Amino acid sequence: MQPDARLSLLDRFRALRRTQFGTFVPVLFALAVIWGYFGLVMPLYDLATGAADSFRVIFLSPRNIYNLFMQSSVIATLAVGITVVLLLGDIDLSAAATAGVCAALLGVLVLAGVPGWLACLIVMAIGTLMGLAQGLLVAYVGIPAFVVTLAGLLGFQGLMQKILPTGNLNVSDPFVRGFARVLIPDLWGVALGIVVVALFAYGSLRKQMKRRARGLEIDSPLALWGQVFLFGVIVISVILTLNAYRSLPLLLVLLVGITGLLGWITTSTPFGRALFAVGGNAESARRVGMKVKRIRAAGFGIVGLMAAIGGIFGASRYGSVSYTAFAGGSLLLEAIGAAVIGGTSLFGGRGSVWNAILGALVIGSLGNGLDLTGASAADKLMVSGAILLLAVAIDAVSRGDSAGSR
Amino acid sequence: MVGRSAPPAHLAVRGIHKRFGGVHALKGVDFEVARGEVMALVGDNGAGKSTLMKVLAGALTADEGQFFLDDRPVGVNSPNDAAALGIQIVYQDLALCENLDVAANLSLGTEPVKPGWGFLPRLLRPLDELEMEVRARSAIDRLEVRTLQSVRAKVGGLSGGQRQAIAIARAVGAQSTVVMLDEPTAALGVAQTRQVLEVVKRMRETGHAVVYISHNMRDIFEVSDRICVLRHGSNVATYRTADTNPDEIVVAMTRGLDPSTSDAA
Ligand SMILES: Nc1ncnc2c1ncn2[C@@H]1O[C@H](COP(=O)(O)OP(=O)(O)OP(=O)(O)O)[C@@H](O)[C@H]1O
Ligand SMILES: [Mg+2]
Repeated sequence: MQPDARLSLLDRFRALRRTQFGTFVPVLFALAVIWGYFGLVMPLYDLATGAADSFRVIFLSPRNIYNLFMQSSVIATLAVGITVVLLLGDIDLSAAATAGVCAALLGVLVLAGVPGWLACLIVMAIGTLMGLAQGLLVAYVGIPAFVVTLAGLLGFQGLMQKILPTGNLNVSDPFVRGFARVLIPDLWGVALGIVVVALFAYGSLRKQMKRRARGLEIDSPLALWGQVFLFGVIVISVILTLNAYRSLPLLLVLLVGITGLLGWITTSTPFGRALFAVGGNAESARRVGMKVKRIRAAGFGIVGLMAAIGGIFGASRYGSVSYTAFAGGSLLLEAIGAAVIGGTSLFGGRGSVWNAILGALVIGSLGNGLDLTGASAADKLMVSGAILLLAVAIDAVSRGDSAGSR
Repeated sequence: MVGRSAPPAHLAVRGIHKRFGGVHALKGVDFEVARGEVMALVGDNGAGKSTLMKVLAGALTADEGQFFLDDRPVGVNSPNDAAALGIQIVYQDLALCENLDVAANLSLGTEPVKPGWGFLPRLLRPLDELEMEVRARSAIDRLEVRTLQSVRAKVGGLSGGQRQAIAIARAVGAQSTVVMLDEPTAALGVAQTRQVLEVVKRMRETGHAVVYISHNMRDIFEVSDRICVLRHGSNVATYRTADTNPDEIVVAMTRGLDPSTSDAA
């Protein structure tokens, strides 16, 4: 019929990617595939082959979803921070080690009798300083971020071992444990979700009206309400699922709140605009008068802060601080993988902190699902590698136009 | 070197030296431009035109040399200094961020923020995206870039000419008294080039001091009032356009000053 109607599937996909919500498509797709596989295909297969005598909802059970979210939260916290430096076109290999040092310090401080809230503030300040120090070396001395943060990774791993000679420390401070233990009552959780969705709808609508009033191009109503609807469905169903097992944990509320704040800063302030500009073309940013060095350094400060928060969340969730859970384990690669699976470019200037959360869920779901099926650690590593590659490939193909140059 | 009838300089530099390691790109260059005048800057490839413009725009810092704005000595050590003095530039390489949309590029570094957030540092106040788009629209409309569909399109997806138009719109849209265009029409079609030349003439009428770099002699003779010739990082001479012709300029660019014409002014 019309030539326009004969767009290839790939073209449609690319067109979709260019819309505002389009950046979420590949990672949501990956998440759907993984959940579909572990939640539907595996139980059905078991049923068909007689390995199970009924359809067993394990992966998609509220209990498992709850654990999944909690397991992914530390990865997500770090991934959100790492996204900020990735936007700048830099990388931070030391984030997990920074988180480890901060968690270890937190454990030592509360053990020494420092109040939990004060200890948290202290380690957040220390984490920020650790990130900032590396950022200063990158921005002002001009050492590549890869090298500075690799040195940071090694140094901080050693530092963590110094702080925790036994490699392990229990954290029982009620304030610190509270992040993971405090649950928002069911009704309050639902109310909070409804308020958030209503605010989102109000904000979108108000923006649309203002655009119309000033004669600017406006999104189609379908896209607008589609966004609001999708957002609402996701938020409410997550809260209801968590309520079905326990309740909405404070930790997740904090994580979403912090990510929302960082998301707002990166997309809606001159500082955020500068992050993108430096990542896209640092020389242009410099020539329009942006303080490129300060912005770089600040970006690393933000990762340091997020790493410290990740350390606090980890200590809160596990009730202990161990070398392998942070500095010595797979946390770093999982966090970077989460950011990249979320669609943030390693070359700078493209990405979003929200996608990092979804990327963390992908990584978390994969580990969780493979655990449930009794896969070995070796299987998990290999599948994780394949998924990372697949996600980046989807991103490169769907971006199309710039895939060759970047 | 400048004729007696030359208007008083608005922006002037004297004895500019710039070295890149072993390369002595500018060897004591003098340059000036007056309000309501289009000064063309010509020279062979590598003569130092872009380097001189970058020094004037604060993107490069001169090793030696003095700056004057209306005969008052000023310092230009950063792009912000230049912008504060009202100096705007279209770079030869355009200096756009391809990952950002047209509106964001047009207000890069001077993003409007919403009023009423004074308690936050300026870098963390909310951007006024709508104002940004309105400004972008009017800047684009002024240049009549009809092929540009939306100011929300990413610059990375635009054609070379469209990008050039955006870089020009950014420089002429800002509050400025001096506008420097480094080969602004190199990637433009005939109609777009005409548009840019019209914009240059309009800026002259509104009392801007315009510096125009091009290798196209026809364009230069059409818009310029004076022509400054650089060769190997030094001044050759500055001519009044009305008193010279393309052949003389080409000779000056390629061979320097013939002793017999050294009194050209
Ligand atoms: N960043 C730099 N580093 C080293 N050398 C440079 C740099 N920028 C310019 N140069 C050198 O300075 C000289 C002048 O370069 P410039 O770009 O100013 O020339 P131009 O007159 O603008 O030439 P064109 O007509 O090709 O644009 C050249 O020899 C060039 O190699
Ligand atoms: Mg040049």
